[in-house]
Amino acid sequence: MIERLLIRKNLPFQLYEVNLKEAGEEDLLNISINLGLSLSLDEMKKIKDYFMDKGRNPTDVELQALGQAWSEHCCYKSSKVPLKMYLFDVAKDRIVTREDAGVMEFDENHYYVVALESHNHPSAIEPYGGASTGIGGVVRDVICMGAQPIALIDPLFFGPLDCKYEDLPKGVKHPRYLFKGVVDGIRDYGNRIGIPTLCGQVFFHEKYIGNCLVNVGCIGIMKKRNLVHSMISKPGDILVYVGGRTGRDGIHGVTFASAELTEESEEKSRSAVQIGDPIMKEPLMHATLECVEKGLLEGLKDFGGGGLSCVCGELAYNAGVGVEVNLDKIPLKEIDMAPWEIWISESQERMMFVVDKKNLEEVLHICKKWDVLAVPIGKAIGEKVIRVFYRGFKVLELDVDFQVAGPVYDSCKRPHIPRRTEEKEEDFPMPNLERAFLKVVSSPNVSSREWIIRQYDHEVRGCTVIKPLQGIVGRESHGDAAVIKPLENSFKGIAVTADVNPNFLDKNPYWGACSAVDEVCRNLVAVGAKPDSIADCLNFGNPERSRVMGDFYEVCRGLSYMARSLNIPFISGNVSFYNECNGIAVPPTPQLTAIGLIPDIRKCVTVDFKKEGNPIYLVGETKRELGGSEYYRLLKLEGGIVPRSNPNLLKRYMDAMLKAIWKGCIGACHDLSEGGLAVCIAEMAIGGWVGADVDIGNFSNGLREDFKLFSESNTRWLVEVKEEKEKEFERLMKEKKLKFYRVGTVTGERLIVRNGRKELIDLDVDRIDKAWRRTIWNAMG
Amino acid sequence: MKREDIRVAILRIEGTNCEEETFRAFARLGVNPEYVHLKQLLGMDCRKNERRDIFDFHCLVIPGGFSAGDYVRAGTIFAARIKSKLSKELKEFVIQEYPIMGICNGFQVLIELGLLPGIDEIISDYPKACLMTNDSNRFECRPTYLKCENRGKCVFTRKIKKGEIRLFPSAHAEGRLVLLFGKEKEMLKKMEENDQIVFRYVDPDGNYAGYPWNPNGSVDNIAGICNHIGNVFGIMPHPERVFYGYQHPDWTRHGYREFGDGRDIFESVVDYLVRKL
Repeated sequence: MIERLLIRKNLPFQLYEVNLKEAGEEDLLNISINLGLSLSLDEMKKIKDYFMDKGRNPTDVELQALGQAWSEHCCYKSSKVPLKMYLFDVAKDRIVTREDAGVMEFDENHYYVVALESHNHPSAIEPYGGASTGIGGVVRDVICMGAQPIALIDPLFFGPLDCKYEDLPKGVKHPRYLFKGVVDGIRDYGNRIGIPTLCGQVFFHEKYIGNCLVNVGCIGIMKKRNLVHSMISKPGDILVYVGGRTGRDGIHGVTFASAELTEESEEKSRSAVQIGDPIMKEPLMHATLECVEKGLLEGLKDFGGGGLSCVCGELAYNAGVGVEVNLDKIPLKEIDMAPWEIWISESQERMMFVVDKKNLEEVLHICKKWDVLAVPIGKAIGEKVIRVFYRGFKVLELDVDFQVAGPVYDSCKRPHIPRRTEEKEEDFPMPNLERAFLKVVSSPNVSSREWIIRQYDHEVRGCTVIKPLQGIVGRESHGDAAVIKPLENSFKGIAVTADVNPNFLDKNPYWGACSAVDEVCRNLVAVGAKPDSIADCLNFGNPERSRVMGDFYEVCRGLSYMARSLNIPFISGNVSFYNECNGIAVPPTPQLTAIGLIPDIRKCVTVDFKKEGNPIYLVGETKRELGGSEYYRLLKLEGGIVPRSNPNLLKRYMDAMLKAIWKGCIGACHDLSEGGLAVCIAEMAIGGWVGADVDIGNFSNGLREDFKLFSESNTRWLVEVKEEKEKEFERLMKEKKLKFYRVGTVTGERLIVRNGRKELIDLDVDRIDKAWRRTIWNAMG
Repeated sequence: MKREDIRVAILRIEGTNCEEETFRAFARLGVNPEYVHLKQLLGMDCRKNERRDIFDFHCLVIPGGFSAGDYVRAGTIFAARIKSKLSKELKEFVIQEYPIMGICNGFQVLIELGLLPGIDEIISDYPKACLMTNDSNRFECRPTYLKCENRGKCVFTRKIKKGEIRLFPSAHAEGRLVLLFGKEKEMLKKMEENDQIVFRYVDPDGNYAGYPWNPNGSVDNIAGICNHIGNVFGIMPHPERVFYGYQHPDWTRHGYREFGDGRDIFESVVDYLVRKL
């Protein structure tokens, strides 16, 4: 159809002129489809106007470059407006900079750096490669600020592991296969590059069957003076291509990420998945950081979505200059690649150094020492133009501003209708509590994650001071957050947690988003860390649907409300749309990875019960908020109110809790989340391998027993207070006028829960341990 | 010799990744560690001032990691690169009773090099043991308890009494020690006689136990061995990851203490070098 518009140039290599001059509207759309540009008609028209102004037709290289730069994934065209409106300005003055990764102050001489990304579509097609290159990409984001990566984070979302094969849509892989492939990929890549995988989350839900979510995060630490920006410093600077070779793997990755998955995705988009090479990455990391430490780099950028094209465009755009690049210099995996393929390939393990001429020799020597390829490929020029040459011919010439700025969609272009949520708690007969308890404890979303965590090296680098699994060795339970001590000569620590409850968001995006912020803050406080910043990965369905866009706005509004009141900035993240398969979108999933700081890691607290005789306190208020709860899900109840949150109240609770922890009043602490109070006590008992005697009679009077046990109300912790510090603890809570209840004691080998004299649960801790620990092992082997 | 004059080479290639914590352990004890890329010993791609010789150092440490990706059997590539050029010097280094330690991937390298088990020779032409894939067929990152079995031969454990139990974390996919087929019993007996068994995996009560306490299914629960002289030491679990008290997985249960179970390994060899030199 469009062949007549493609004019092959008479050159010794493949280059087409695309005849936009004679292309009608239908042709424009067909060009976009056939060249895999994923651009809309409006965008194609804009491009046509641009070239008509210049009085010539574009080359295929130019069209491909624009397709990459203007894709949803690269320029955030659907989300820019709401993100600006709600998130970008929250606690902005606390952020040092927000580029490929977010940078925050750690102490007087150091910054910490955070990057969080999604790698959903590649992982749905090829889980092993998709997940490992996801890690590779996010690690490069951190390195390219000049920071040493110190921790990896991997929040994952899959369909139920026991999903029947008949229920899988055509072309979709089984959740068990995806889960295993993703964990293998993260393990093999993360372990090999020697960065500990510190925390994550795994969530199972029917709506992830067709489109699993694989989010990946990385944290780094750096000296303040080593901060490098993603920009050129001046005309004349040399662009040095460093790392792996360029191949045909990972072509059209970003446009693939910006469209829905279909049953043909496997066939059509396999080439969009890149291939990772951790043993290229490891020395690349060393070489880059050595150059940074020696002050040899003017600018630094990693190759992400859009390949060379986006890297050159952004380096130039951020500095208000242009670049000239010679494609002949690019090291290739296959020599017969067309210029457009070289220009947009997303092959992994590549970085771009911006180097002043006088430092070039030293930079090349360092790379050579590490056996890392390094080749000067072009230079910065004063004119704001990108020019690309191949075998002596100019194959691309674009104005930097036109390519990089991209079209921004304002709210009228992407209609958004918030959904109406009607929530009601309905009455139903109370089931047997002991049985319900065991069922909740062993449900896939609650049960032990040991199967995954033990496959990741979470201790390499020797900085992990609070591990993801906590408790008696061999009996460990889940921690709320992990803590690293990044500097040899300082006891200051960084706590990390990753959370979101998609069940809440599926019912109520606004309060679900608020709950996610509440939960990550609770998690950090539970180990003794003060929440400092949040990275957000916003995973949604197709933004061209007003409902999806409506959810997106609601989520942003919720995140903004909470974070603004708490003065916590969003320092990194990405937006991943089109997470749909056959018309079923994933639940709105704003995955949050939060960072907390703790002045002295020796004050940290873990979840496991420590000592018999210590009193147990419930801090916070328990309400009838069971919408989206694990309890209702297992009872197959649809209704219920999604938990609310009040950031000002949360702040008061956090302050008091941190004071109590830092003063050494607390033996163990755990936040209440999925499965509520019941799961919380169980996990604390399992980790300490000791029982507890708990009476739920003295709080939330009038609330039914099962609601007290399984409600997932926000802003609550269960705390083991040291016997001798009871008075001090109570005084601290009273001072702030907070709700707290002494509910029991750490004792014996059984977990006993009663309501006054009425016994509700009486189980051996070993029995609970077995129910909790085996679920994923049994499913995965 | 004074501590600050003792030079320790932390040897690395691409994929080595426990070098920083290993470096810190030595630095903390007041000796002078240095990161040395294998290419600096081989004289490849380095400037004159970057060139190093094995005998510039008093102790050689091969840290953990995934050298060259471990895509062949773990440690093989690193070992082959060393052996092709440095065999002679290495042998001389051992004969002169300078200590060599391999942790995790480093242990795998020492086995592949033929420096371990080193029952009746300094370096064998071909490996006489192997660290094979764990019985679980998985990477295992978990705390493990080790019982010190050494009667005093190994220069890396002289500060640890025989029978003492220490917690060192394990993190490996290939850690199951296997000896020459058909000669296991004979080899084990000799190693026992030579006092070459350094650590065995035990449960928290000190009993020899199976998975998960023995995380890989290693023969006779062996976690660490030394050569017949006692100066070449290989261990799968990571003493450098428990140098400090707060690196222990359960320190919040027992209260804060400054140093962890692994420090004595480094202290032992430093002490040995102070006396020797």
